[in-house]
Amino acid sequence: MLDAVKPDLDYHALNAMLNLYDAEGKIRFDADRMAARQYFLQHVNQNTVFFHSLDEKLDYLVDEGYYEAEVLEQYPREFLHAIWAAAFKRKFRFPTFLGAFKYYTSYTLKTRDGQRYLERYEDRVVMVALTLARGDQALAMRFMDEILSGRFQPATPTFLNAGKKSRGELISCFLLRIEDNMESIGRAINSSLQLSKRGGGVALMLTNIREAGAPIKGIENQSSGVIPVMKLLEDSFSYANQLGARQGAGAVYLNAHHPDILRFLDTKRENADEKIRIKTLSLGVVIPDVTFELAKRNEDMYLFSPHDVQKVYGVPFSEISVSEKYHEMVEDKRIRKKKINARAFFQTLAEIQFESGYPYIMFEDTVNRANPIAGRITMSNLCSEILQVAEASEFNEDLSYAKLGTDISCNLGSLNIAQTMDGPDFGATVETAIRALTAVSEMSAIDAVPSIRRGNDEAHAVGLGQMNLHGFLARERIHYDSPEAVEFTSVYFAAITYHAIRTSNALAREKGKTFKDFDKSRYADGSFFEKYVTRDWLPERPEVVRLFQGIALPTREDWAALREAVMRDGLYNRNLQAVPPTGSISYINNSTSSIHPIVSKIEIRKEGKIGRVYYPAPFMSNENLEYYRDAYEIGPDAIIDIYAAATEHVDQGLSLTLFFPAGATTRDINRAQIKAWKSGIKTIYYVRLRQAALEGTEVQGCVSCSL
Amino acid sequence: MRDMVTGAARAINWNRLEDDKDLEVWNRLTVNFWLPEKVPLSNDVQSWATLRPAERELTIRVFTGLTMLDTIQSSIGAPALMADAITPHEEAVLSNIAFMEAVHARSYSSIFSTLCLTPEVDDAFRWSEENPHLQQKARLILEEYQAGADPLKRKIASVFLESFMFYSGFYLPMYWSSRAKLTNTADLIRLIIRDEAVHGYYVGYKFQRGLERLTEAERAALKDFAFSLIFDLYEVESRYTEQLYDGIGLTEDVKAFLHYNANKALQNLGYEALFPPAACEVNPAILAALSPDSENHDFFSGSGSSYVIGKTVATQDEDWDF
Repeated sequence: MLDAVKPDLDYHALNAMLNLYDAEGKIRFDADRMAARQYFLQHVNQNTVFFHSLDEKLDYLVDEGYYEAEVLEQYPREFLHAIWAAAFKRKFRFPTFLGAFKYYTSYTLKTRDGQRYLERYEDRVVMVALTLARGDQALAMRFMDEILSGRFQPATPTFLNAGKKSRGELISCFLLRIEDNMESIGRAINSSLQLSKRGGGVALMLTNIREAGAPIKGIENQSSGVIPVMKLLEDSFSYANQLGARQGAGAVYLNAHHPDILRFLDTKRENADEKIRIKTLSLGVVIPDVTFELAKRNEDMYLFSPHDVQKVYGVPFSEISVSEKYHEMVEDKRIRKKKINARAFFQTLAEIQFESGYPYIMFEDTVNRANPIAGRITMSNLCSEILQVAEASEFNEDLSYAKLGTDISCNLGSLNIAQTMDGPDFGATVETAIRALTAVSEMSAIDAVPSIRRGNDEAHAVGLGQMNLHGFLARERIHYDSPEAVEFTSVYFAAITYHAIRTSNALAREKGKTFKDFDKSRYADGSFFEKYVTRDWLPERPEVVRLFQGIALPTREDWAALREAVMRDGLYNRNLQAVPPTGSISYINNSTSSIHPIVSKIEIRKEGKIGRVYYPAPFMSNENLEYYRDAYEIGPDAIIDIYAAATEHVDQGLSLTLFFPAGATTRDINRAQIKAWKSGIKTIYYVRLRQAALEGTEVQGCVSCSL
Repeated sequence: MRDMVTGAARAINWNRLEDDKDLEVWNRLTVNFWLPEKVPLSNDVQSWATLRPAERELTIRVFTGLTMLDTIQSSIGAPALMADAITPHEEAVLSNIAFMEAVHARSYSSIFSTLCLTPEVDDAFRWSEENPHLQQKARLILEEYQAGADPLKRKIASVFLESFMFYSGFYLPMYWSSRAKLTNTADLIRLIIRDEAVHGYYVGYKFQRGLERLTEAERAALKDFAFSLIFDLYEVESRYTEQLYDGIGLTEDVKAFLHYNANKALQNLGYEALFPPAACEVNPAILAALSPDSENHDFFSGSGSSYVIGKTVATQDEDWDF
């Protein structure tokens, strides 16, 4: 490691030069391109196992147990030659050092000792395509084409694992309910271990667990509340990781009106006691509308004992709309309650976000109003973009199921907006992506957690995301915080929604099957389509019209025809879109993350596996820097406007991060939260802060530090 | 603090500032407050296991060296400076500095207890007590901290310690993190660097204010003193660096980093650079790694070093206008 090369010539140093201006004050993009090239020359090429032919390679990888033989056996050899030849003909090159480094560090197939590479990027793409196409040659070619062209990028678990013999699951993300009994808590911990081991992020809902001091079996002051459960979960996640490939990660959600809410938030305090401090578990708070109304009137907010609520209403706390029942519960003597000031609650929330970036927020009533599916959404996931209904399970004493409920899984993949807009057929790209995600759902059967398996079998929920919005806008010389950007986002997402539903409808016809309870959804009675058949979602500003030239956008008539088809034949997937934050895959795909603005012209990316690496925003040059103002400069208002335009069309959620300079106050954060809630935003993901170095202490000539 | 003239006890009034810099730095230091428990060091356990034994030994030694410097600064340096404080606010800032230095020293122990075995650590502490270069570094600084020494000389020594002498040690975790090793440890060190940068800057600033009251001749004498001290320190520091880093061939690179930081320390005191730019060409991977701001970390494997304790301001009725 240490004795490799003179440090001042190696690719890490070249890459780091991106973050240091040259003598003329220009960003050194060429240094990063050199870093990518040197990385291949000095490292990748020397450490890649060489094969004389494709046949030799495939035979070796199958015989040695690296590749799944079943994947390749679905295709004739001639086809395999054809698809590999087609892939390598594209002459794919990584445009950035981080893209290449991230791919070879975290995705590519390596020898068992981890020392040598067995795949190039093209190999990985073809194996993913072959796996997901399940023997359909034309579809395999389409998958390969969409992925290698950079238009569609499957999420990490799919892209990392597909086609490998020893691997984790293809699915990214799981959500589990916990009910107010020991069996459910125990089962949830076991499920977390099992899912974490298989490579997913797991979120759990704690809202139904009785608060600290609640009675157990009628004896007062017995329960320890939610904190010890969080501790157990945190340790479970750090124990289980996917063959060391991905660190286990978990999130917990709690309703704002749960009596433990302040304790829950205090676990992230800088000076929290070690016994209650939560370091690696992510937190989310579920906030109903009534909390905002109480804060508006500067009143106290009551917190209700989940245990008593369940006794009074006969259903778990999470199944009650707090906004609807608030006053009724306040008046009900049978429900134990305490109160805190509502504004003070929001202020505490902002304080903790300042210190730790947490908690996420889910606006419960917004989410449920927008939900086209029958049932209640009570939580979100590790990245706050999954919003689906679930059903409680009941357990026997031996932890077997007395009643098997449903839990949530979601497999994700994202379109690169710039590449999709440049592509030959917009609708076909969306269709191919939905088909790839559906394949992942059909190929997954998580038997270790039966409620997850049942949920997936019945719902085939997928989450198509988007990334590279800022990169695309900047390339087209449109500012992120402009009315044009908002209009583009609205039109783009409406078109994505149309094609996603169109594809799911086609799948329902092909398979002769809809998701369970389709008939109770707002798709079945046509009401979902109301806003699409009563107005146009087409560009008006000339700048935006220009962007969509050559792309066939759905008209009101198209939407009306789709409504008829859906009401007749149904949808195969219960959920279709969710916009994840896209960390790693956006670097490989040369995108800006999600639909966020860039965090910096030169982003300093730090992860456990790759260390600190520098990443230039896509399409950026020293000539168009003005379009690359970063998220801290742009500020929360414009970000919320963009997200509100997209949220309108997305059936699930979008990971929305808010960015503030460290000089901001808790009031600034609260105002952004209020604006987000007012604008119909469903969830807020992290709050990120940037602290400028004290004048006189900064590192000179550093791109990411200049303000 | 007592009134210099009357000897009466005086209460500190932050609304009557004699030097605005005191409040600015106080605010910065307090929002930057942190404790080592914040950083999930245990995520580095696997990475630690991938280091070779020699690399592990080097890392522990580097950290024991840093622990010693932080101990000196916390228990002797900052308190000595406090006695020289001109304003009560300066004294308050220095007490914060003293405390944070203790937190830093504590942090290295957190790293040790998370990653290493007790005998390894004990060996390293013994090594640090017996290492002639390290001991000499300590001696050179301690001499200037002694009671009776010139307050401005104390400040010079303190700035050299904070802005220069720590960096031969800081180099290593930055190097590891640029190679995807011990990244959480690097986060913690970056928090320390964030503090030390402010400490060195502040004491240097106070030194420059102090200079303003002196005669030309006194200033020249102090400048001579500063340069002669940094020569001495550089001498020991180079030998210390060679002893640590020769084994793995990084000495030249660390020395460039030392030159860079020696210049920074002198700059904090208001003096011109000692080393020419060509001698200060720090490996860009290390230099770029020094900036904690705007780092976009992935929350699932680390906690980042950009979060701070925020300023609390209550919302008003107009904020809730809906």
